[in-house]
Amino acid sequence: MKNIFCFIFFTIGSWAFSQEIPTTTLKNLDGSKVSLNQLIENDNITVLSFWATWCVPCINELDAIADIYDEWKDETKVNLIAIATDDTRTKKRIRPLVNGKGWEYIVLYDDNQDLKRALNITTLPHTLVLKNNKIIQRRTGYIPGAEEDLYEFIKKNSN
Amino acid sequence: MKKITLIFILFHFLFSVHAQIIDGLSIGIESNSAWYNDDKKTGAFNDENNNDQDKHLRFNNYIKLDYNFLSKFTVSAQLESYEPFALINYSSNLEGTNLGTYSLSYETTKIKATIGHFYEQFGSGLIYRNWEDRQLGINNALFGGKLSYRLLDFADLTVIYGNHRVGFETSDGDIFGFNSEFDLKSIFKMNNMALSLGFSYVGREEKTDLEAINYKSLTNAYSGRLDFSYGKFYSSAEYVSKSKDAIVLANQVSNQFIKPGSGILFNTGYSKKGFGLDATFRRLENMTFYSERDKSGNIFFENIVNYTPGLTKQHDYLLTNIFVYQAQSSVSFLDPELMKVGEIGGQLDLFYNIKKGTALGGKYGSKIAFNGSYWAGLKGDFDYANQDYKTDAFGFGNKYFSDISLEIRKKWNSKWRSIFYFVNQYYNKKEIEGNFGAKPIITNIGVIESTYKLGNGKSIRIEAQKLWSDSENHDWIGSTLEFNLNSKFSFYINDIYNSGDDSSTQRTHYYNIGGSYTKEATRIGLNYGRQRAGLLCVGGVCRFVPEATGLTASVNMSF
Repeated sequence: MKNIFCFIFFTIGSWAFSQEIPTTTLKNLDGSKVSLNQLIENDNITVLSFWATWCVPCINELDAIADIYDEWKDETKVNLIAIATDDTRTKKRIRPLVNGKGWEYIVLYDDNQDLKRALNITTLPHTLVLKNNKIIQRRTGYIPGAEEDLYEFIKKNSN
Repeated sequence: MKKITLIFILFHFLFSVHAQIIDGLSIGIESNSAWYNDDKKTGAFNDENNNDQDKHLRFNNYIKLDYNFLSKFTVSAQLESYEPFALINYSSNLEGTNLGTYSLSYETTKIKATIGHFYEQFGSGLIYRNWEDRQLGINNALFGGKLSYRLLDFADLTVIYGNHRVGFETSDGDIFGFNSEFDLKSIFKMNNMALSLGFSYVGREEKTDLEAINYKSLTNAYSGRLDFSYGKFYSSAEYVSKSKDAIVLANQVSNQFIKPGSGILFNTGYSKKGFGLDATFRRLENMTFYSERDKSGNIFFENIVNYTPGLTKQHDYLLTNIFVYQAQSSVSFLDPELMKVGEIGGQLDLFYNIKKGTALGGKYGSKIAFNGSYWAGLKGDFDYANQDYKTDAFGFGNKYFSDISLEIRKKWNSKWRSIFYFVNQYYNKKEIEGNFGAKPIITNIGVIESTYKLGNGKSIRIEAQKLWSDSENHDWIGSTLEFNLNSKFSFYINDIYNSGDDSSTQRTHYYNIGGSYTKEATRIGLNYGRQRAGLLCVGGVCRFVPEATGLTASVNMSF
């Protein structure tokens, strides 16, 4: 049994490819449906940040980026979309939290975690960097200062 | 088994040869393993679910593949392996290696059709929800078919039919449902205003071999919902009604005790930049709903139809998660002194951002979050001898739980950040856990957390926690030290200790030491320690950990 799993691990490890974002409709904070694919600008870098109101490192990361987000946008025209994966236990906390913190990101809601599941995201925070609708980098976890790393990558890949 | 190997070899060749066609492929790998050891303090290793004391090394492995082809089709498969048994605290139905879920979907902007396993949620889930939570061992995907249709850009209609996944099998009870959602904003072209309505139906058909049953094999549930927002103000309401069905007491399906169920959920709030306020009210009466009656209230959430989470703040620190409230939605007549038929209560959230440059805000501003929640039993007349009850519409019965918390986040300078956290809790152990001799416990918990950036990606985080209580049994202290070497390596040590007289936890150090390696979307974690059940957030990731002593390893990869 273990051999099969080892085999599968290595098999998958040997593939290298860039994946596209599937056709996805999510809800915004008003409850209206929004096409995610239309929000992803082709020419500029888009960052999808999967988070939840109960995830402390997620909040730390989005708080840290919020402090410097204006500069990021001015320099690279990057667009960050924060995708909340809360289930209904904590869903109602998203809107007051986002406004209370004064975040200026587009915030969308992943109903019953359909997109999170489709993209095989298992741990939060999980960040996807997109260019031309293709995932050029995936990151998970957050430690203080990691936003600088992320920004270096964005700068390197923006036009 | 050979089939699975063959499929993977086939996939491998296909993708190696035609690299361009794998752009539509997404892969997720997760492996959680543990080597449990005998613990001098808390006793020898014992897996009650599998009645096993020998198999100390356990693996839970998951591989999920999603492949999108011809732009409209997606095939999805999840291979799961629990060898030789699942990690402790998982259902014994999760055993061996097999395909856990598989499905084929077709999706256009108008239609989405799925056959196989699927996940769905109607409204808030109070009437219907399928979901997966690997840390908790929940996967109640429905195996059958689902069809969704978007009508004229304002209505979404969905029909579902199938049987719950239970372990690697499916349940006997049939589930079918219909959901509709109408977005009236687009019809009336309202500015600043949004209005939507929703209606759902869920049926559960479970035949029984018994003769002369006093309840119907088919149970019907209906839900009506309304969501409204105007500018910065919003509110929503939901009502769920469940038809008369047999009450399950101590795993016995009663043929005399037959009652309907209901749920009311109301939420309202106001938010603008720097300020948010949100209030929720909920009343549940006999709202447990399972695809097989005798599975009612099972601790593994198998066969569960609807989702009724405890509506309290989900705290992040070890000591704030010792007394956790779970929603009390079921009918339970344990004793004439201990009769429950539901819960009533609510919670309030407040978020406030103190501006930069003000006296309180300082150079960087401060962020404040307040939460208060209160839950009680339903008020009414309860008849233990005749097994019957009548409840008041909005009456509050015995208090079950309350929680008040305040969080202040403060950035001192570009290197230093701190979080101050205070919680006051009331926990009625007798009512919540059905524990006769227990007295309610009142606790006060204080936490101070500070993070200091050392430069070059290095940072250090310190947490100090203290729990005071009115009970001699609980007097806890705890701390965490975390060191992030760079963006890849992180190490931590933490410990919580109860100097109270509680028989199960007294004078026991629940210590953990570990580290993690993270590179892009790959994370490998290693931990050794003695764990209490609860949320563990270290190295940037939160996970639920069950109670055990031993070495645990986890691998997560996404492509």
